[in-house]
This record gives sequence, C-alpha cells and structure tokens, in this order.
Amino acid sequence: MKLTLTLLAALVFAASIALPLGPILAVHARDPGLAQIILTELRLPRAILAIAIGGFLGLSGAAMQALLRNPLASPDVTGASAGAALGAVLVAYSLNSFSTMAIAAGAIIGAAVALTALLALAGRGATTERLVLAGVAISALAGALMSLALSLAPSPYAIYDILFWMLGSVADRSLVHVAVALPCIAAGTALILPARRGLDALALGEEVAASLGHDVARLRLRIVAGTALGVGGGVAAAGAIGFVGLIVPHLVRGRSATPGASLIPSALAGACLLGAADLLVRIPVHGQELKLGVVTALIGAPFFLRLIVADRRS
Amino acid sequence: MRVVPTPGSVSAESAPLPQAGGDAPRRVASLNLCTDELALLLAAPGQLVSVSRLGGDPQETALAGRARGLVLNNGRVDDVAGLAPDLVLTSGGIGGAAAAALTARMGVRVVTLPFPSTIADVRTNIRTVAAALGQKAVGEAAVVRFDAGLGDVPTVLTPALMTGGGGVAPAADGLSAAFLRHAGLRQMPSSETMRLEELLEQPPQVLVLSRYRGGQASLNTAWLQHPALARLPVSVRRIETDGRAWTCLGPETAEAVVKLRAATSPSPLRGGRLAPTRAAARAASFALPSRGRDT
Repeated sequence: MKLTLTLLAALVFAASIALPLGPILAVHARDPGLAQIILTELRLPRAILAIAIGGFLGLSGAAMQALLRNPLASPDVTGASAGAALGAVLVAYSLNSFSTMAIAAGAIIGAAVALTALLALAGRGATTERLVLAGVAISALAGALMSLALSLAPSPYAIYDILFWMLGSVADRSLVHVAVALPCIAAGTALILPARRGLDALALGEEVAASLGHDVARLRLRIVAGTALGVGGGVAAAGAIGFVGLIVPHLVRGRSATPGASLIPSALAGACLLGAADLLVRIPVHGQELKLGVVTALIGAPFFLRLIVADRRS
Repeated sequence: MRVVPTPGSVSAESAPLPQAGGDAPRRVASLNLCTDELALLLAAPGQLVSVSRLGGDPQETALAGRARGLVLNNGRVDDVAGLAPDLVLTSGGIGGAAAAALTARMGVRVVTLPFPSTIADVRTNIRTVAAALGQKAVGEAAVVRFDAGLGDVPTVLTPALMTGGGGVAPAADGLSAAFLRHAGLRQMPSSETMRLEELLEQPPQVLVLSRYRGGQASLNTAWLQHPALARLPVSVRRIETDGRAWTCLGPETAEAVVKLRAATSPSPLRGGRLAPTRAAARAASFALPSRGRDT
C-alpha cells in the first residue's frame, strides 16, 4: 500500500506543477523566463505546501487517534487547527506584519495551547463525547476570538481574511511560506514518527504500555508537541484546513495491522487527498477559486456523518 | 475621539451661512462616504452639520480635513435625528429604507443618491447634491472642473491592470475602467479575484497599484509583496494611485485620473498633448466593451 500511495502522491505533486498545462505552454512559447517564474515562484510552493500539509495532517490525525484511542481525534476536531489560526491572526494583525516566521511562532503556540487545554478538559482516554465536546468548545472559542481580532484590526480588509484562516488555501503562496512551514512540519514529523511502537503498546491500555517500558507521559508530550509544531507551521502558511486529519486515518486503518503502522500510510494518503483537493479548486467557479477547506469539507463531512452512524450502531 | 456627541451638545444653530441663501437647507447631514465627499465639496461653510465617520477619516477620503468640527455619525438615521437636520443625504442601499421612514416621521427631506454606473451618472449626482444644497452654481463649476480633469479619452489606450491587492481588480467594463480610459489605460479583463498566475500569464503594460491603507496588514496588502510580482518583466510599468479616490468614483476620481495621466504620458513617443477630440474618443471607445461607455 505504501508504494502505491507514494506513487500516487508523486503523481499528484507532478500534476500540481503541470496543471493547467495550456497556459504554461503558451507563456513558455512567448517568454520562457516568465514561464519559469510561474513554475518556481507560484506552482512549486503551491504543490509543496499541499503535499506537505496534507501529509502532516494525515500523520498527526493518525497519531492523535492512536494516542487518545478515539476515532474522532484529529487536529481539526481537537481544536489544534483553530488554536493555530487564532495564534497566527493575533500575531499578524497585532504586529501589523505578515512576517511568516512570526506568524508561524504564533500558530505553533496557539496549537499547543489548544491541545493542552483539550487534554486538561477531556482527560486521557476520554470518551468520544467528552473529547468532541471539549474540541468543539475550544474551536468555537478560538473562532470567536479570531473574528473579534480581525474585526478590531485596523485594516477594513482584515475581516475578509477570516475566509483564508478558517478555510485555508495554498494559492498565491510563495517559497518564503515553504521555507517556514517545511522545517516546522519536518520537526513535527520527527517527533511523531518514532512514537509508533509506543502507540501500538498504548492500544492495549496505559498500564500495559507502561509495563512494556513505554513512558506514556513522554509519549503524549511527543505527539502533542509534534502536532503543535507541524499544524502551526502549516496553518501559518495556508490557514486551517479541516477534515483531512480526521478522515484519512480511517481510510487506511483497515489496511494497517496496528495504529502505529497506520502513521506513514495516513501521511501518504493525506498528501494525496490535499494535493488532489488543490487540483480540484483550480477549476474556477464563477471566476473565483474555491477555498481548499470547502472541498475537504465536502469530501469529509459525509464521511464524518458515516462515522457517527457507525458509532451508534456499535 | 470619534464618539458621536449627544445632540444637546451641538450648537451650530447660530452658525452663519454666508453663501447659502433663500430656501437652501441650513442643517445638512450626510450618512454615507460617497455623499459625504460630494457634500464636503459643494456645501457652503456652516451648511453641513454631520458627515459619516468615514467622511471624517483621512484614511478614507482626501476631503476629511473639511469635516473638522462636524459631528461624525455612524451612517444611521438615528445618529443624526437629534441634530434636527433639514436635509439628509444618503446613498442607495441598506440605509435607504430607514431614511425613507425618517421622512415620513419627521418631515425631513432625504436625498438618496444612486450608485453611479457611468461617468454621466457622476455628473448627475454632482448636480443632484448641488441642487439639494441650493448650490447650483457651485455644482456647475464642480462639473466643469470634473470634465477638465478627465479630459477626453486618448485614441491609443495602453493595456493596464489596476489592483488594490489580493487579486481584486475592477471589472473591465465597469465605471472604474471608464475613468482609467480617460487616463489612457485600458483595464484588462480578469477574474473577480485574480490569481497571481493569471496576472503573470498575461502581464499588462502598466500595473496600477491602488494604495489604500497600505500600512495596515491584511492578506490583500501581503499579496502585493509576493516575490513573483517583484519578478515581473521590467517592461511592466508600475504606477501608484491613491486608493481613496477609487472608493466612491466621483469628483475625487477625476483628480486621480489627472495624476495617472501625468504618470503615464512622459514617454517621448507619445509626448506632448494629443489634442484629442470627441470623435477620437468615440473611435477609441469603439474597440472597448460597450458597457460603461462614458458619454
């Protein structure tokens, strides 16, 4: 499965650079230099961000579901994405600067605060209801504070920016955004990936995991810190993108032996999903590009409903 | 402070009205930035008692200085009802119904200005407000000044793209584009919200950057900092224009057109004045989309 998903992700990445093909060929025939600028300054950052952010959302979603032993845990449901967006907004509009580095710092802190609040509110091994309730409360609060901050920002345009921060987009992003987001995502991945064995042990319960020699508190810290880092970096560059982290682990789980074994396939599937979603939004609707979150929600929300129905039956 | 004072604290009743004679209204309130601009331009000293808070904000209009000392309202009828206005100016849209209700209740005259969609509409709006203020002569002078600023549409138009950031560009067949034609620029058609890739695929000869609250962070202004824009071919000229003049599209816009023309024309090829004629202007507009014609 990993090989298929890797090839698919590579295909999506290549398509993301190449499509739409017509205009880029036309520009190349007229002015090769200009075509090169379009490819390197616009399409490349866009493709990298979609693949990297989608991949990290899948990875962290799988890790959180394993850590909290809860099928609904994911960066968006737990409020980590909303917290990151709030942090990003507070930094950008109070400093009156769109320095990507500063925004990323704000987003990472925001995601970390949201996740800490979630763990404090829901407790470990929380029931699905309590986790979702706490996540909804944190997301709602972060969303409200974000609206307030954008309303109070001096620029009258700022309030419209809420679309970007809440729905996400990788259009018109630059290599600067890549340079900031990618290291954050890499660091988050480096923290989460080694936790695979620990997560497998945790599936048998905290005591069993501890008796097998896993430090559960450290494991939790690793995953929370890794998620905050990667989600923060991604949100700083592309806003909060929902549903990818929630649904992707479910798509691959049936094919993975253990929760830990599902991390890498989830990352690959997340990369494919977000990359493909970003190809879809390029088809203009009334001359406008859709926001990424609209497409991921359209794919993800029905899946979410199916999860709830399945949960009620069991 | 921009707090609207309580009605009792305003004492403009005794203000002298040197130029407003006869039946001219003496206590005029404007509820909308676009009527604010016209009122600030056309009213006699002392005739205006209130403009909207946008009309008093130097970041929104170059005429804000003239609003000093006036009560700033929030665009609602109840904000100015206590000022006992004898004329309320507002613009079409949301405030319209509330303003009509005020007329019925208090017998206050309300002038609701339609949004202009052609340059002729702009002239009509200037005359409407001038007539309502009892300042017809001032209005005619303003129309003459407006037309002088606009000048005729040059025969040769340069493909241009005006944007205020975020990929938001005025429509190629709209009123902004009609004003741009008077500056010798033909606004290129674009998506409602243009992506940078679209701009780079068909770069304009002139990029008109509309500066509006540029120092205040938003994604719109951040868009203008994208490295790809900095790497546009050197043949693309960049001109800045005062974004405040392009909000309402009125007399202020004609002044922006004068500056744009000055910024675009020093090319030696087209040097000097073209001495354009009405016929030439018509010939030029022949090649343009029919909507937004300006005669």
